[in-house]
Amino acid sequence: MNAAIDFINILLPVLYLTTFGIYFYDFMYGGKNFSNSKRLFLFITLLVHASYLILRTILFDHPPITNVFEIFTVLAFSVGFSYFILELLTDIRGTGPFIIIFSIFFQIISTLFIQDLVEVREVLRSNLLGGHVFSALLGYSGITISAVYGILYLILYQDIKLNRFGLIFNRLPSLEILERLSFVSAVIGFFMLSLAIIIGVIWLPKAFPNFSYTDPKLIGTSLVWLLYGIGILSKTFGKWRGKRVVTLSVVGFVIAILSTALTNFLSQSFHSFY
Amino acid sequence: MNLAAVTINHHTAPVELREALHLSAEEIAGFVQDAKGKLFNEGLIISTCNRTEIYGIPVDNKVDYNQIQKFLVNKKCVSNVKPENFRNYTSNAAVKHLFSVIAGIDSLLIGDNQIYHQVKDSFQLADELMFTGYLTKRLFDAAIKTGKRAISETEISEGAVTVSYAAVQLIEKIFSSLNKKSALVIGVGETGEIAAKNLKERGIGRLSLTNRTIERAEKVAEKLGARILPFNTFKNYMHEYDIILSATSSTELILTKEDIKNSMKRRSYSPVILMDIAIPRDIEPTAKEIDYVFYHDIDSLNIIVEQNLNKRRDEIPKVEKIIDEETAAFFNWFNSLEVAPAIKSLREHFELIRAEEVGKNINRFSNEDREKLEIITKRIINKILHQPTVELKRISEQGQNSNDAAVKISILKDLFGINNIDEEEKH
Repeated sequence: MNAAIDFINILLPVLYLTTFGIYFYDFMYGGKNFSNSKRLFLFITLLVHASYLILRTILFDHPPITNVFEIFTVLAFSVGFSYFILELLTDIRGTGPFIIIFSIFFQIISTLFIQDLVEVREVLRSNLLGGHVFSALLGYSGITISAVYGILYLILYQDIKLNRFGLIFNRLPSLEILERLSFVSAVIGFFMLSLAIIIGVIWLPKAFPNFSYTDPKLIGTSLVWLLYGIGILSKTFGKWRGKRVVTLSVVGFVIAILSTALTNFLSQSFHSFY
Repeated sequence: MNLAAVTINHHTAPVELREALHLSAEEIAGFVQDAKGKLFNEGLIISTCNRTEIYGIPVDNKVDYNQIQKFLVNKKCVSNVKPENFRNYTSNAAVKHLFSVIAGIDSLLIGDNQIYHQVKDSFQLADELMFTGYLTKRLFDAAIKTGKRAISETEISEGAVTVSYAAVQLIEKIFSSLNKKSALVIGVGETGEIAAKNLKERGIGRLSLTNRTIERAEKVAEKLGARILPFNTFKNYMHEYDIILSATSSTELILTKEDIKNSMKRRSYSPVILMDIAIPRDIEPTAKEIDYVFYHDIDSLNIIVEQNLNKRRDEIPKVEKIIDEETAAFFNWFNSLEVAPAIKSLREHFELIRAEEVGKNINRFSNEDREKLEIITKRIINKILHQPTVELKRISEQGQNSNDAAVKISILKDLFGINNIDEEEKH
């Protein structure tokens, strides 16, 4: 069983790289070679990845959320899976490489540093924590995808303004669609993040009676949540649109990344569990 | 195969001459009536604004290209036509040329798939006029297959290659769906009218027109079901439109940057597309500096057109490969028409000799050996004929060189006197 997990751990970056390669080739050269089959490659990769996560949960008797490298592999899956669903629902196929690259990034780091932990702190076996982490990860996937579409919107906006009718112009969907995709992803991300915060608020006093509200992770997450909340409300009430909303989405993503990096690698926070 | 083709097109003749030799459906009917039996047994005539092409199976070997050309020129009573204004093709080259035409790689606008429908219509007309025969019907199927493959297997028809379609392509990169958008066309001369028509065809939600001469605007608006805005007050309503397309013949600016700025404020900076397809330009180009204003003129649209044309040119080798494959497939079929009867005649000829000789000498063999005699002599004949049969099948499957097949069949028939036998059998 361990050997199977080790093998899939190495296989996953290869699968994600292959899928990325196919999506990238299709983006660059178009044609009919991989127009449909690329989705199958992504599906197979996600299937293998889901099996890997289930195997780990069974073998190590805890969901893979007990340290940052376990969380990274779940995040890689979550980003890929969210994109897969989005592609199925919208049938917009030209943006895959820009999102799958995030799955590659998270999975490679996870593959390199993940450990097979059987013994974990009791606090990490809580069901509430499981719900908190999974909703937070889905929330982060949502804002990652929102930021990617936001960046693509800004690039295409500039290209059209400056009469640059290259690959980006030819392959990407319209500005209106990119804006909508970015917004919908942000709304889903915001909703999941809200859920994660609610569960966290319920679970936190039980798990850590001495926690502080000035914890950098809490401040960072609250800031991200607030930013997305303002952006979504402004867009909903028609005050903000286009560039301004997508820029906010990108800024929110950058703050989320910085906050995660700071709390996990630099500062002392109750969110660092290993 | 003795298919002959005579063509006059944009490669060989100026537009005046092409126009002069253009044949309407009625004229094609008259042409066919006169040419059938005199020049051709069966055939096809394609006549569009860029080409007039005559394909046919000549009634005999005496019909030459000059006769076909003269026939067309006399029919249309056109002078000043030089031989170099025509191109002539025969057999393989004629089939290949027809396939190139239907696949769009011989068009003035490379990949123009309008020609596909025009060729299809021409075949239908020939069929209605009973000008088609067994060969041209098969040629029609092969041509249609080639055209379909070129469109579906390559990108020869992808992308906008005219300014008006490039404008639509650009609009569709900004707005996802035109049916919820509104457009205002300023100036409804020829260019403005075409642009308005394109927008209507693409399903624009609301279309308004404005023009200095109100009568002209009314005429176009009636055709397209559009609203009319008075020319002297249209700026007051500009903010209501997501797309503003200007195509007037004015020598002065119609819309300044200030006008656009005011309009943008009134529409809360909701994105707007300004398409200036007038020469000289109608809209102040610095309007593009305003946020959410997508200003484009003829030059920027021409960039899209040129890029798409280059992409289509890059697809030509792929289309040529399809044409080669389909030409080979067509000649496989055609050669098999000649080869199969030749093989049959050859076998029958040898079988006749064998049966005669066996019949003459059968009494020299005992009853037990007679069956063996039949088997052995048949085996000898089969072995003798194996190589010629294989060779004939090979040249028929090899495709395009029908002359090679015809020569070999002819030699074989001469050597064994099969022609004489066929003739005797007929009598």
